[in-house]
Amino acid sequence: MKRMWKKSMLSLASLGLAASVLAACNGDEVGSADEFKGKITIWDGPRWPDKDDNKFHWLEAKIKEYEEAHEGVEIELVQVPWAEMGDKLGVAIAGKSWPDIAPVDISGSAVSIDHIEQGVIEPLDDFFDKDAKADFYENALDAYTYDGKMYGIPNSITLHSMLLNLDLFEEAGVTPPEGGEWTYDEFLDAAKKLTFDRDGDGKIDVHGFSTYIMPGYYEAWPFFYKNGGSPLNEDMTEFTFDTPEVVQAIQDLADLKLTEKVAPETHGGIDVGGTFQAWANEEQRTVAMQPWATWAIGAAQGKYPTNFAVANYPTGDSDKAVTIGGVGGWVMFHQDKDANKKAAAADFMKFISTDKEQYHMAQNYGIFPARISAAEMDPFKDNPEMTRAMEMSEQVVMLPRHPEWRKIDEAIQTQLQLVFNGEKTAKDAMADAKKAVDELLK
Amino acid sequence: MTQQPIDVASKKETEHVNVMKKANYSVLLQIKKNYSAYLFLLPKLLLFTLFVAIPVVWAFVLSFQEYKVFGSEFAGFDNYIKVFESEAFRIALKNTLLFTVVTVPFGVISALVISSMIFGLGKLSQSLFRSAFYLPSVTSMVIIAMVWRWMYNYEFGLFNYVLGWFGIDQINWLGQSSSALWALIIMQCLIPFGVGIIMYLASMGSISHSLYEAAKIDGASSFKQWLHITIPLLKPTTLYLVLLSTIGSFQVFTQIIMMTGGGPGSATETLVHLIYKTGFRDFEFGLAAAQSVVLFVIILIFSIIQFRVLRHDE
Repeated sequence: MKRMWKKSMLSLASLGLAASVLAACNGDEVGSADEFKGKITIWDGPRWPDKDDNKFHWLEAKIKEYEEAHEGVEIELVQVPWAEMGDKLGVAIAGKSWPDIAPVDISGSAVSIDHIEQGVIEPLDDFFDKDAKADFYENALDAYTYDGKMYGIPNSITLHSMLLNLDLFEEAGVTPPEGGEWTYDEFLDAAKKLTFDRDGDGKIDVHGFSTYIMPGYYEAWPFFYKNGGSPLNEDMTEFTFDTPEVVQAIQDLADLKLTEKVAPETHGGIDVGGTFQAWANEEQRTVAMQPWATWAIGAAQGKYPTNFAVANYPTGDSDKAVTIGGVGGWVMFHQDKDANKKAAAADFMKFISTDKEQYHMAQNYGIFPARISAAEMDPFKDNPEMTRAMEMSEQVVMLPRHPEWRKIDEAIQTQLQLVFNGEKTAKDAMADAKKAVDELLK
Repeated sequence: MTQQPIDVASKKETEHVNVMKKANYSVLLQIKKNYSAYLFLLPKLLLFTLFVAIPVVWAFVLSFQEYKVFGSEFAGFDNYIKVFESEAFRIALKNTLLFTVVTVPFGVISALVISSMIFGLGKLSQSLFRSAFYLPSVTSMVIIAMVWRWMYNYEFGLFNYVLGWFGIDQINWLGQSSSALWALIIMQCLIPFGVGIIMYLASMGSISHSLYEAAKIDGASSFKQWLHITIPLLKPTTLYLVLLSTIGSFQVFTQIIMMTGGGPGSATETLVHLIYKTGFRDFEFGLAAAQSVVLFVIILIFSIIQFRVLRHDE
């Protein structure tokens, strides 16, 4: 397990470019959590339900436990749906009315590198010494490290994997890839066989593959890495998604619909829910293979019981399977003056991020722990699909952490949409994306 | 004699000052006299100041700043220059204009035609149709957008299902650049303009019967009566509805975020969606404020033009 999250392909050290990070904001004084009396506000999204369908029960119980042990400390939980978390945090940041603690995937879109540079996020180095940090996977910690400082406690690791509907494989007489490993040619061959007319009415009932293309979503992206290549060069000064190997990979994926006809018309659209339903909903099951983040494994084992297997993304010329990962965790927002409050908030963040809690969350919420000791407790010993997905963590690449990434992402993804529509070739689209992205990289 | 013109001038000046004084005095007097009415207006006025006037002024101030969470900096006209140089803004403006130019006349004309047809009916059927056409206006656009997204669905949608009856190939309504914006325009046109219908019906009720009777005596057909009496007399309502729906149309947002996210490519990007992205995704509040101010000016210009054109023969 310790090999998990070995140093990823993109060195995150390159993120330390900007020299303009604000110093730790409240001076050097480190407060005492024991001396704090008052209120700490924490935001969280719904997690797994208890028997009353309360999806906040885990944090509510932890808050109660903490308050009982710390007299005079009140922790207010604000329940925020995950879909609104980014926007709500954006508004809160704009109005400087942020919570003390919130769950943020720092590589996602809720908080940007720009916010770290502006001092909106508190560094936590005063509360985590070297020994405390040693229990986290290096990559998970790297995701929350900027310019040498720690800006959050990694809580969970997610990645994307290919989910195969084994019933449809059996119906089409296709053997799933052995050990979940396959080449692109084998994948394409399977996709062709999995595209069939079930009832003989001349209309295709099942397609081999489908996914969607949208800013902020990366299910399709590991396919674009299959021949080697990445969106930006290592020092993030140049757009590199226009190299022949990447252009070919993009065109290949679009051609699954455009020329190979093994993907439905909606392939490359923006209907995330509809795409998942087409794979998972018992009434539909019209697509045999789709790539999803790990939450879908839990859904396919729970709400949408499906006979499925987890596989790698197929390999191309580079012979190396690649997937894209993300790291979730807790961040502390800027504290004005009270050093004791800052210490208390950090103390509570530690309290909900212990190895025991991460193990508990992994088992119930379908995420991989960010702590080595939690992973060593083997939370998935009875869950072969999650175990298989966890093995894929060695293939993970992280997205470039450029301050303008969201704009770069949109410039690329909107062009990709046109390729999947058949309105542009991958070559022309990436040439146009380059123009826009180069402007942003200046 | 030579003094007279000077006297006249000074007399006029004195009169003017007196009038001014009287006016000032009378305003104060009016407030004093009707203070209870002003007292009732005060809460709303305070709310308006707090939630509308101050944010509007603040947006204007923000548009000249480079927004930073701690200590924004004065940026002069930089944000405005960025707005006018931006390809994305041009595309969003073009899409918004097309959306407005098609949906506003369609909405207002259809409201006029529908309400004219309803107006001639008996009391019971009039109420029935009035409710039927007005109810959709109460429904949240989020719900309407969700229903329409299903109707436009490629595989299971109503439209493609119906096209299938006639052997016509399915259309990827929201997924193709060529059709996505038109799909949104069609949707907007087909949602009944409930407020418009209600307002037209109310205005029609206030037109004097004697005008129609006179026209009847002169042998004018129903259509001619509608054309020469109803439509001209409804002009103030038409002006109001055109202004109202133009402003609404320039601010089209919910449908975009719910149904297309501005895509595919930038095919359905509109101004308010772009402002939203600039502000809450990119956190460039200064630029977003400048975009808002430009949108405000565009709407203002359109409103003035419409006001002039439609007011013309009042």
